[in-house]
Amino acid sequence: MTSKFMNDIKAFGFMLPALIPLMLFWFIPFGYIAYLSFMEWDFMNPVKTFVGFENYQALFSSKKFWDTVRVTLWFCAGSVIPIILGGLSLALLLSDRLKGSFIYRTLMFSPWVTPTVAVSIVWSWIYEPRVGLANTVLGWFGAAPVRWLEDPHWALVAVLIVTIWKSAGWSMIFYMVAIRNVPRPLLEAASLDGAGSVKRFLYVTLPLISPTTFFLFIVQTISALQAYDQINILTQGGPAGSTRTILYMYYQSAFQSYEIGEASTVAMTLVLFCLLLSLLSFWVGKRTVHYNA
Amino acid sequence: MALYARLKQSIHHLVLAAASIMMAFPFIWMVSSALKTNEEIWSFPPTLLPEQALWHNFMDAWNAAPFGQYVWNSFFVASTIVLCQVVNSAMYAYAITHMRFRLKGVFTAAIVLGYMIPATATYLPSYLILNELNMLNSYQGLIFSNCVSVFSIFLIRQAFLQVSGELIEAGHMDGARHLTVLFRILVPLTKPFFAVIALITFIEQYNNYFWPMLITNDPNLHLVSAGLRSFFVEGGAYGLKWPLIMAASALTIAPLLVLFLFTQKTIIQSVNLSAGATKG
Repeated sequence: MTSKFMNDIKAFGFMLPALIPLMLFWFIPFGYIAYLSFMEWDFMNPVKTFVGFENYQALFSSKKFWDTVRVTLWFCAGSVIPIILGGLSLALLLSDRLKGSFIYRTLMFSPWVTPTVAVSIVWSWIYEPRVGLANTVLGWFGAAPVRWLEDPHWALVAVLIVTIWKSAGWSMIFYMVAIRNVPRPLLEAASLDGAGSVKRFLYVTLPLISPTTFFLFIVQTISALQAYDQINILTQGGPAGSTRTILYMYYQSAFQSYEIGEASTVAMTLVLFCLLLSLLSFWVGKRTVHYNA
Repeated sequence: MALYARLKQSIHHLVLAAASIMMAFPFIWMVSSALKTNEEIWSFPPTLLPEQALWHNFMDAWNAAPFGQYVWNSFFVASTIVLCQVVNSAMYAYAITHMRFRLKGVFTAAIVLGYMIPATATYLPSYLILNELNMLNSYQGLIFSNCVSVFSIFLIRQAFLQVSGELIEAGHMDGARHLTVLFRILVPLTKPFFAVIALITFIEQYNNYFWPMLITNDPNLHLVSAGLRSFFVEGGAYGLKWPLIMAASALTIAPLLVLFLFTQKTIIQSVNLSAGATKG
């Protein structure tokens, strides 16, 4: 036996404990779902029928699917942008070494560690139409009460508020670290050149923290594409499909109506979205983002 | 000038305090609602403080469903998963950073590629595979299917890359075997990474809902999230007993807030590490 071969065996032994579950629950499923997207099957029937691209054709010509794509895009934009802007504003407020900022930081970050299911239940009480807190607050400003979770115009907003509330503190922490890493001499040099605080922020800080912005954009978009818990508790995709994202449609066709072919095809579109995003992140990351803080 | 600076600072504090209270308010509201009677909670306009604080609501909620069992399940499953992930991620990361073998590139690329596949997309086929393995509805299934994470491997790989090869070489010169080098030299050197991964994984798995709910329907196997949700919709509780539901939610959320208070530094450090990892 050559020593090269022995090295291979040893390395393989080291990777095996991770490799087994990785194959079983990550890579094989990926191939499996691609395969199922070309089949017609309902779980119960032992026979799967090969249907070629029919599932894809049916999906791309169904209005229901394009509605979920639209909802997904709104959900991504409506959560990612406020999470990033909110996190940045909070981080800027906290960046001066103010007394007691430790307490503020703790309070703002706390939603992130709590279970989404539990906090969504709390929010569904806040959204209660008659005596809920949300409508009471609206009432103070003279606004008419809203049926948050039953009105197709408001349900997505309600889910978005919970999503933003839960993650804004998290992106704030990332920005706090990034802002702290901006080199002081650069800011001082800009001051000497007569730049005010707004200009310093726009021309020095903002470009230097762009890797963080970019990182948060990718991570938050991928997590928005996979949001399930809050939708499941608050609206279950309704009313009238107004909160049914691609992921939620996948869940419903796989585990509620047992249309495995359709579900797998939907999952493939989700995978495609994520792959495109990752490729974009590599591409943009290499070109434009400013890495050198 | 001093006055101006003072004023500015006060306004700054005021804005921050307002923002913090807004962020924390759902929790305050939850506790306040948990302490009210069923009549009081439906009165309009709602009040911040209950007329009389009914602390026994927490006891009643705890006894209304097997929450003790749920908490134990979550704790047990999450801790076991953390243990498995830390060990197998460390070994995998060690192999792809500090061992010499053929196809190394392939096994490294697999992790990066795996990083791009959304986990939720694999739930249907993973469910079918778990069914074939006869592991649906069991602790084994809950643990086995979650016992690996590309994210953990990715992060630990990043940590191991920063350790100089000379140190490892020196270890080998002294005749140390791979396992000894890994657990006696590398792991102690990269401890902060492991602390962060263990903590984040624990919180994630403790709170986990979607996947565990799909693969278990035995209430005895519910993790806290699924347990709380079934208390929310079943047992006539839905929309009727809000004080009890709020009390149960508070009981679920409290342990995590306490854990967070004690481990804040480590969790916030995770940001430094994962932000750093994406630059590599």
